[in-house]
Amino acid sequence: MEGVLAQTLASGLLIGFVYALVAVGLTMIFGVMDIVNFAHGEYLMISMYFSYWFFILFGMDPLYSLPAITLIMFGIGIITYYIAIRPIINAPMLSQIFVTFGLLIFLRGVAQFLWKVDYRMIPETLASGNINLAGIYIGRPQLVAAVGAILCYGVILWFLKNTKTGMALEAVAEDKEAARLMGINSNRMFALSWGIGIATVGIAGVLLSTFFYVFPEVGGAFCLIAFVVVALGGFGSVVGAFLAGIIVGLVEVVSGYLIDPSFKFMFVLALYLAVVFIRPQGLMGK
Amino acid sequence: MKKIFRMFCLSLLVLSFASFAYAQEEIKIGVIYPLTGPLASTGQVLLEGVKLAAEIVNGNYNLNMPLAKGEGLPKLKGAKIKIIPGDHQGKPEVGMAEAERLITQEKVVAILGCYNSSVTATASQATERYGIPFVNESSTSPTLTDRGFKWFFRTTPHDGLFSENFFMFLRDLSKKKKVGANTIALFAENTLFGSDSVKYQTKYAEKYGFKLVGTVLYPAKSTQLTSEVQKLKGMNPKVVMQTAYIADAILSMKTYRELNFAPEAILANDAGFIDPEFVKSLGKDANYILSREVWAKDLAKKKPMIKIVADMFEKRTGKHMDGTSSRAFTAMIVLADAINRAGSTEPAKIQEALLKTNIKADQLVMPWDGVKFDPKTHQNMLGKGIIVQVQNGEYVTVWPFNLATKQIVWPFPKWEGR
Amino acid sequence: MKKGLVILLVFFAALVIYPFIFKNPFPRHLLIMIMLYGTMGIGWNIIGGYAGQVSFGNAAFFGVGAYTTAILLSKYGINPWIGMLLGCFFSSLVAVIVGYPCFRLRGHYFAIATIAVGEIVQILFTNWEYAGAAVGIYIPILEESFFNFQFHTTKLPYYYIVLAMLAFALLVCYAVEKSRLGYYFRAIKDDPEGARSLGINIQNYKLVAFILSAILTSVCGTFYAMYVLYIHPANTIDLWLSIHLCIIALIGGLGKIFGPVIGAFIFIPLTEFTRVYLGSEGQGIDLIIYALIIILLATLRPQGLWGIFAKSSS
Repeated sequence: MEGVLAQTLASGLLIGFVYALVAVGLTMIFGVMDIVNFAHGEYLMISMYFSYWFFILFGMDPLYSLPAITLIMFGIGIITYYIAIRPIINAPMLSQIFVTFGLLIFLRGVAQFLWKVDYRMIPETLASGNINLAGIYIGRPQLVAAVGAILCYGVILWFLKNTKTGMALEAVAEDKEAARLMGINSNRMFALSWGIGIATVGIAGVLLSTFFYVFPEVGGAFCLIAFVVVALGGFGSVVGAFLAGIIVGLVEVVSGYLIDPSFKFMFVLALYLAVVFIRPQGLMGK
Repeated sequence: MKKIFRMFCLSLLVLSFASFAYAQEEIKIGVIYPLTGPLASTGQVLLEGVKLAAEIVNGNYNLNMPLAKGEGLPKLKGAKIKIIPGDHQGKPEVGMAEAERLITQEKVVAILGCYNSSVTATASQATERYGIPFVNESSTSPTLTDRGFKWFFRTTPHDGLFSENFFMFLRDLSKKKKVGANTIALFAENTLFGSDSVKYQTKYAEKYGFKLVGTVLYPAKSTQLTSEVQKLKGMNPKVVMQTAYIADAILSMKTYRELNFAPEAILANDAGFIDPEFVKSLGKDANYILSREVWAKDLAKKKPMIKIVADMFEKRTGKHMDGTSSRAFTAMIVLADAINRAGSTEPAKIQEALLKTNIKADQLVMPWDGVKFDPKTHQNMLGKGIIVQVQNGEYVTVWPFNLATKQIVWPFPKWEGR
Repeated sequence: MKKGLVILLVFFAALVIYPFIFKNPFPRHLLIMIMLYGTMGIGWNIIGGYAGQVSFGNAAFFGVGAYTTAILLSKYGINPWIGMLLGCFFSSLVAVIVGYPCFRLRGHYFAIATIAVGEIVQILFTNWEYAGAAVGIYIPILEESFFNFQFHTTKLPYYYIVLAMLAFALLVCYAVEKSRLGYYFRAIKDDPEGARSLGINIQNYKLVAFILSAILTSVCGTFYAMYVLYIHPANTIDLWLSIHLCIIALIGGLGKIFGPVIGAFIFIPLTEFTRVYLGSEGQGIDLIIYALIIILLATLRPQGLWGIFAKSSS
């Protein structure tokens, strides 16, 4: 029984890191500019397709194509900002919701048009296989993804706390007026937050593609989880999203094991509701 | 700007009120499948199966099957079949509206479809109201034929019959190989398909004297299945009977490997496990899965006609023929045969002819004993499933033993040794 | 104003005459869907457009309405019209239970909380044996009559029932707008702090808006159940349904009485026709078209298309 519990916790923890990585971009964009990107899961999907096609067309393993795809996704994030988001920065919240929502439908449509609705998967990658740790089985792709997520978080936190640009980003997130007075160009910071936000979800997509299939609607389920993670951790809080990701992963797997898998997702949602009712700003929100 | 907006709205309104009906001499048959939405890849394959059957009926082919030789339907002066496709997106009310559109606007004489049991349920309510024959090829929810509809016919065996096949297979196997596959766990997604299957598997497990050690149901849109597989592992069954669509099928296989779960056999319930994407996506991880099937390409060794049809299908679509497309194909042949024997496009005559359908086993590309409808439920009484196994990336028939082309690999090999 | 009234009457007259011009079921089905979504869109507009609380969970009310009717009819033989009323009661109850805590949340938190509630309700119904679980409920076929809410040979009565529902929804919305409620709702949306300082009990008025929204949506759920005669969780309590309602209200104009009607008249035909005429070949093109419409509207005309029609009529 103990072994099983340990195995369950390990699995929950591993998927939790991935959830955290999917969510970090969402929370950053929100923190900096108060916009919820409803299309976040769709960027995950796009990056998974990139990873798949790099593998099929050029025979590049996802772990090798990761840097290139991260850069491409960074560019896509910046372009998205200038084309779609900039015009609605000062619009009412409803318009903002609808624009990013429109983006979601748009990207799904493009994916369906280009790649049809087939389920695709990279059969074998460098990360395939599993490891036996004292009776606990850990999938190597999951492990690679988890390590990638932790590294990615480390880099983001270092960037925010120790670089000039990072501190400027934080300053904008803290108080736009004050940042403007300090001579920070908030427009560029917004663009940067989109670049970084989409690049991180791009990394998540590539790592995910080593053990998950891709199809045009794959973003849906992950996006919903990312919302819960972000809201639970507190909108805008990078550290909060990390903790919340792990909590969500654990709650999902443990409740699925101990209670009933049919309801596992309900427990995640219920946890979210419980937390926001008690602490509407989330765990680490201000 | 405003003007453009106004024009745009107006043109949409006009568009919405225009109706598009035109007359044609061919015999129109409505075919309703999920051509968009999450099930679109399956829908397209099904539609191609139907189209191929129509092509064989319309053209002149030297095959031992009804209407293959000679062009068109001889009793209707060589009239040709025309397929009018409709898309139900997997939504019951859209399926119903499409059935009504095909009947009233396109004037189809019969309808074929709809794959998803829930859509077949509503679409067949529309055909029942209009008195138009409905031939269902692959919706396996048993309740559909329990409704006693007058115009509804089903060629495929339903989940109840298929579930019984599993246990017949296990019984035969234990006689032949002396394997003691006596403990069973059920693993299924919790929508209609999964929960219906579980119900029948539970029933037959008792009847055939197998011990059920547990049932795990999970939500179909899961992002991971680790806790589910953990539960299965804890039950320690010899056989897992699994019911899943393609996404969950792939995910569960990955999770089995991740958590090193290898029971003596994974006995899968068709659907996701026989989708062409299954082997393509999983590569060698798909090997040794057992699945119930309605069809397999290697049946051609016993019935050469199957190879000819399967090759034609592959040439058309670039995809292998499979259990879904062959059933769609067969349903179209059955329907065309009935329309021909009716010698008329009158719905009542077609319905009468369908009831008298009697197609022999050797005229089918299916492993069935033939097609003959139960006079009360209109369920094909001669349908039968087979069990296939993935060996080297190919589906080979391993049961019934008289149709088997390869020896079964049992037990399921451990993951490490592969 | 008089001119507006004339246009309204012409509009309704056209709707009344419509089925006599278009006798085929498909065009009638199309209008039924438009009016059904229009009614639900008005329901959404009361909470989302007037009171400014974006709800992505209205499908839960649709589901409760549909299930209440279906369960009562199939298990106890209770008349669907009574089912409709009880559905409204249960939906209101859900609105209160959900709304009371959720309305403390602001903006995005509220929107996501409603997604969570909608999903939870769906999961519950998917696993609830008594309500047919995933299999859903086949509604027993009764003799066709207005009393039984079932018509098997013609869609005409369904058509007029849903037309009456639409008219009712418009009346409710009109009454809200002309009363103090409308004023309070707008105050909550535009300036919650100011509203509070004026002594408006924000929580209570949000609840009132949510209940009205729930009732209008629940009625549509009952109608849908009796129209399709087979319901199951995947298509009665679907997140996409909630989302479509927002889009419809957005297209027509948020917080405008007629907004959702216009929205439905554009959105539903667009969906139907892209599905029928592009669907199988140009997969995804339909989605791209909606997306562009939504993005352009939200960016360039967040007040929706209503203004265009309103200007020309006043």
